Amino acid sequence: MAEEGNKIARKAVRTSYLSSVVSIAMVLFMAGVLAVLLMNARMVSDHFKESFQVMVFLQPGVGERQAGVLAERMASHEGVRSADLVTADDAAVTLSEELGEDFVTFIGSNPLSHTIDVRFASSHANVDSIALFEGTFSGEKAVQEIRYEEGLVENINRNIRRITVFILAFCVLLFFVMGVLINNTIRLTLYAKRLLIKSMQLVGATRGFIRKPFLWKGVQSGFWGAVLANFLLVLFLYFTQRQVPELFGLGDFRLMSTLVLAVFAAGIIIAVTSTFFAINKYLRKRYDELF
Amino acid sequence: MNMIAEPGLAADAAAPPAGSAGKQVIRLEHINIFQKKNLILSDVNLHVNEGEFVYLIGKTGSGKSSLLKVLYGELQIKQGVGQIAGFDLVTLRTRQVPRLRRKLGIVFQDFQLLGDRTARDNLMFVLKATGWREAGKMADRINEVLEQVGLGTKGFKMPHELSGGEQQRLGIARALLNRPEIILADEPSGNLDPETTKEIMSLFFDITQTGTAVLMATHNHNLLEEWPARTIRCELGKVYDQP
Repeated sequence: MAEEGNKIARKAVRTSYLSSVVSIAMVLFMAGVLAVLLMNARMVSDHFKESFQVMVFLQPGVGERQAGVLAERMASHEGVRSADLVTADDAAVTLSEELGEDFVTFIGSNPLSHTIDVRFASSHANVDSIALFEGTFSGEKAVQEIRYEEGLVENINRNIRRITVFILAFCVLLFFVMGVLINNTIRLTLYAKRLLIKSMQLVGATRGFIRKPFLWKGVQSGFWGAVLANFLLVLFLYFTQRQVPELFGLGDFRLMSTLVLAVFAAGIIIAVTSTFFAINKYLRKRYDELF
Repeated sequence: MNMIAEPGLAADAAAPPAGSAGKQVIRLEHINIFQKKNLILSDVNLHVNEGEFVYLIGKTGSGKSSLLKVLYGELQIKQGVGQIAGFDLVTLRTRQVPRLRRKLGIVFQDFQLLGDRTARDNLMFVLKATGWREAGKMADRINEVLEQVGLGTKGFKMPHELSGGEQQRLGIARALLNRPEIILADEPSGNLDPETTKEIMSLFFDITQTGTAVLMATHNHNLLEEWPARTIRCELGKVYDQP
């Protein structure tokens, strides 16, 4: 019977440890999902910004070779991600396909001129950078006109700013909730041991000596919580990616390893800090204050 | 065997000996004891010599436990003279409290055992916490004290598997580990039946033979008749030596 009681006592200890690991894992998993969302939001906004296009129309009669040299110069301009030359012939083919008739034969010659499609890096997709670009190249003899939708670039930027602020505020809130939740779980676990902690002090153990095994336990809960959270995250990404293939995820090794390591670091740091503060609270209290 | 093995701090334990007996291990003069802002005991004077057995009696709430708490550094005192086992209680700092407690053995009414480990591991914890390093010596010392309290064969048991008397004996074994100069016992028989109480009392009197003083708070007056010894009474905020 004594054996049985022993088993029950040990089981009780194990259950409370397990439940604190599980709650740490759940919170870390939530934070991980949010981090994935944030990284993807960044990618989506970059995608939008980089799809913004400036068209440079060249003068009729500018040769294909001269146009190519100009495109190369534009590509090396600050903030430009790509400058693709669309020759008059290519443009005629595209337009014919769109119109459904061979207008070159109909007119007798190709009225189109060469154009260069310029796209900016996400960091430079703003009014100032585009104005700078325009200032550099609008004076060129070969350039007839530089055209883009002026309102569009500002619109994109404003919307992205709004969304970013919203997501960031949400992140701050979630991280706060995460800290409070983990801190609470750990404090409850330690509350159950407050009398044990006091007994240890009464037989002459120093604070550091008492703290050490608890902190080690904190490292362990943080670690196993992170293992569980990472496992769930990988599962989550695997199934989400099957639905939304554009999402970054398992394929991106650098981002994935950063995410996994960050979950480990967050788990261990939060668990250990909470343990440290919670245990100090009970170490400072007097015996009669514990009830 | 001489239980007072370590000299050092103990040797200069203050105060000239009072009367004929050995050196003083507790010396309190003109101290006031507060719990928060309430004055519990005033102008306390108390001297205990090595190897002496002293009862501390008084009604519940008369300040017995508070007096013991002062002695083991759980309550601070601000004025007067307060010395125990070579430590000055008036200037005692939080950092020194663990070292003071290694010079004392404390026995509680509710045992205060570590419920999450075996009897042996309870004792091991104290040894490790108080700076013992050699595994062989630690095992020897644990066997020694378990034998001394009659628990030689029960070291593997968890505290909740021991009877009340056995748990208290484990508590006493724990108090003996570091060969203390003084054992402070707060109602050690409060949770025990008369038969077990007898065993515990005879254990305490044996311990005093080795030079360790025992200060025992109790409100069991039968004990005083059966095991007569010097008695100190807490009453109406004062401490008296009862003739």
